[in-house]
Amino acid sequence: MTHSFRKTLLSASVSLAAMLAAQAATAQEAVFVMAGNEVGAPTYNPIKATMLNTATGLIFDRLVSQAADLSYHPWLAESWEEAADGMSWTFHLKQGVTFHNGEPFNAEAVKAWIELFKTTEGENAYMAEAIASVEVVDDQTVKFVMSRPEPNLLYNLSSTFMSVVEPKSFAALGDDFGVTEVYGTGPFKLESFSIGQETVLVRNDDYTWGPQLATNHGPAKIARATFREIPEDSTAFLELKTGGVDMLLSVPPDLTGEIEKEANLAVVTLPGADVWYMPINVTKAPFDDIRVREAAAKAINQEEILASVFGGVGSTADTFLISALPESHVSDGAKIHYDPERANALLDEAGWVMGADGVRAKDGQPLKVTLWTQSDSIFRRLTEVVQAQLKAVGIEAEITTFDSSMIRDQYKTGEQQLAVRSYNWDNADIVDWFFGGDRLGYPNVSMFNDPKAEELRTAAMTGAKNMDERIANFTAYHEYVLSQFPMAPIYQPVQAMAYNKDRISVPEKIDAPSFGSAMFMDLEVKE
Amino acid sequence: MSAPASLRAPAPLRALRRPLGAVAGFWLALVVLAAVFAPVLSPYGYDIQALKEAYQPPSAAHWLGTDEFGRDLLTRLIFGARTSLSVSATAIAVSVFCGMVLGAAAAWFGGWFDRAVTVVADLTWSFPEILIALILVAIIGPGTLGTMIAISVAYLAQFTRLTRAQILTLKGETFIEAARSLGASNGHILFRHLLPNALAPVLVSAMLATGDAIILEATLGFFGLGAQPPVPSWGGMMSAGSALVFKAPWVILFPGLTVAITVVAINLYGDALIAALDIRSRLRRAA
Repeated sequence: MTHSFRKTLLSASVSLAAMLAAQAATAQEAVFVMAGNEVGAPTYNPIKATMLNTATGLIFDRLVSQAADLSYHPWLAESWEEAADGMSWTFHLKQGVTFHNGEPFNAEAVKAWIELFKTTEGENAYMAEAIASVEVVDDQTVKFVMSRPEPNLLYNLSSTFMSVVEPKSFAALGDDFGVTEVYGTGPFKLESFSIGQETVLVRNDDYTWGPQLATNHGPAKIARATFREIPEDSTAFLELKTGGVDMLLSVPPDLTGEIEKEANLAVVTLPGADVWYMPINVTKAPFDDIRVREAAAKAINQEEILASVFGGVGSTADTFLISALPESHVSDGAKIHYDPERANALLDEAGWVMGADGVRAKDGQPLKVTLWTQSDSIFRRLTEVVQAQLKAVGIEAEITTFDSSMIRDQYKTGEQQLAVRSYNWDNADIVDWFFGGDRLGYPNVSMFNDPKAEELRTAAMTGAKNMDERIANFTAYHEYVLSQFPMAPIYQPVQAMAYNKDRISVPEKIDAPSFGSAMFMDLEVKE
Repeated sequence: MSAPASLRAPAPLRALRRPLGAVAGFWLALVVLAAVFAPVLSPYGYDIQALKEAYQPPSAAHWLGTDEFGRDLLTRLIFGARTSLSVSATAIAVSVFCGMVLGAAAAWFGGWFDRAVTVVADLTWSFPEILIALILVAIIGPGTLGTMIAISVAYLAQFTRLTRAQILTLKGETFIEAARSLGASNGHILFRHLLPNALAPVLVSAMLATGDAIILEATLGFFGLGAQPPVPSWGGMMSAGSALVFKAPWVILFPGLTVAITVVAINLYGDALIAALDIRSRLRRAA
């Protein structure tokens, strides 16, 4: 007994020593936890996917990068010119860039990649829709011939959905591209990917073409990065606290305080691109009456939610867009604020009389509606506050909780009345995405289909010749949508990330709108 | 042999004579009374939010503290007992009723009907209850009703099998033969002789299953599939508390403790009841 116990102890210590040695040999390794709202992204195919996670931005590069102030900077394109009439753009490409599978990145590759948007079925075709054709001027120069001016082209080119994919393997692999294999020009190559669980990336040692905004242009300092998907924030926090992971790519406001209490953990923040809101289904009674919609929207007390649910971190939302966007600057009257007097007056006017039990009724029917939410704890908490705020003006909302991965399919049924949800996007075209009359159910959870809005939408999406016109058109479209109350804005968070200070050093200045290549190139594992 | 059954106190009371049975019975009585008189006992409203008073630790004003919406935790625990007990008990009652009818019919009629019932019961019994319940809730939709149906279906196989086994053993007894030779009808024998004799073990195992059902209800509530907010359920409270475990540990601690103590109490009391009824061998035979 004693003998065998000693043997076990001995072999255990030997294997421990071996493990330590192995760890020292591959020290530039780090484990990240993907943001909760990115859990379950099913593919790394940027042309087909409607949802992409952070690791996408490390496998692929883009022609253009965006800074924290939303200005545009060179990346795979060293420079570009737009024709005076907006009908063509010329891009000068970086030399010596190759894809992970050895194919060269050049004008031909860009042409083939843009053409994939025309031949691939998917929701993202609109991003390249205005490009009529691509001309190869020389090996390092391409000219996009436009079917109409597209002031938003640089934004589209800087979005992860326009990550430059290797066109030959894309065509050869079909639906497997992005799942079993994936080839881009980015600082990391895909080693393994299991949907909803984890993605392992290994460094692309040939990489020297990092975005200008990063200090290090390549190769990356981290040799191997594992991205785990953990749906519950407090579980992810425990993993960080106990050393199981090195960095969380999103931290909810109620945990930032806990993280700051830990000596070896730190929080780093970037400006947010999220908006939390309450869509209102305009086709379902009683919300087919605009007065009831306005009342519900104005029953939402954004200040109280910011203070109580989000611990005062972030800011309130009063339009559908993040306030960093110029298109969010609608007239003051169009902004949606908490106004209980107005809400009560509107409901009285619409014939909903307050009952003794605090619930309004009309013709014997109580003002009972459904309120959908997803199962993540922060959504459920916010939804319960929204429920209480609606109750305060006499609207009884019954909460139904759906699994986060199932709720999109539920929205497609169009049965929802109210819901609490959030989106992450930093361009005004999100108004088109969520309120376009041809996307009813999901993404258009509000089932909003209004002829005047459609007119303004066309002008905003395709009618602008330059950026100023686009901003004016989008502001008008956004303002009109707000005036119809298909939703109530609630909250804009900041992006908070947390990391283990003993394990990782994070660059002091992060000039990017979100966590991506520009930040990742400068991350380092401490040894 | 001890005194004739008619002269002794009923078994549920006899179970209280054992020390563990008494403690367990006392706790269960407390929980049931709390659930029944919830509106009278509760110091606050279960859905009244006071956001400025959120995350308060236990104090004189809030004996168990407040949750993330400033709601009194004790109040929610008391009302949660209502949800948890009523959902579990109703579900088990439905399950017992259907299981007894199915099991008795299978044992009595035999033949293809018996085989069909046994196969289906064995098939569902080979899955963990939680799995069956999750699938059913996914189909029916979340909420109290969905949870009830899911739990009762999940436990149906257990009661079907138990009743069937009881009836099968009783069927060959002399007193049944006697009744038959006296010209008693099928229905008379089944309802007046067989089922009453099979009842005790089924009821005890139903009581034990109620403990499991409380856990199952809490699990479904934890996943957000049980009673929908603001109606409190123990599982739902634990789920909300799990996100606050560092900030306000009492929000998850008290409902968790309540579930644990209640389920242990049900099991202890059930054990005492089995001993008082002296039916351990019959239960073992059935399982």
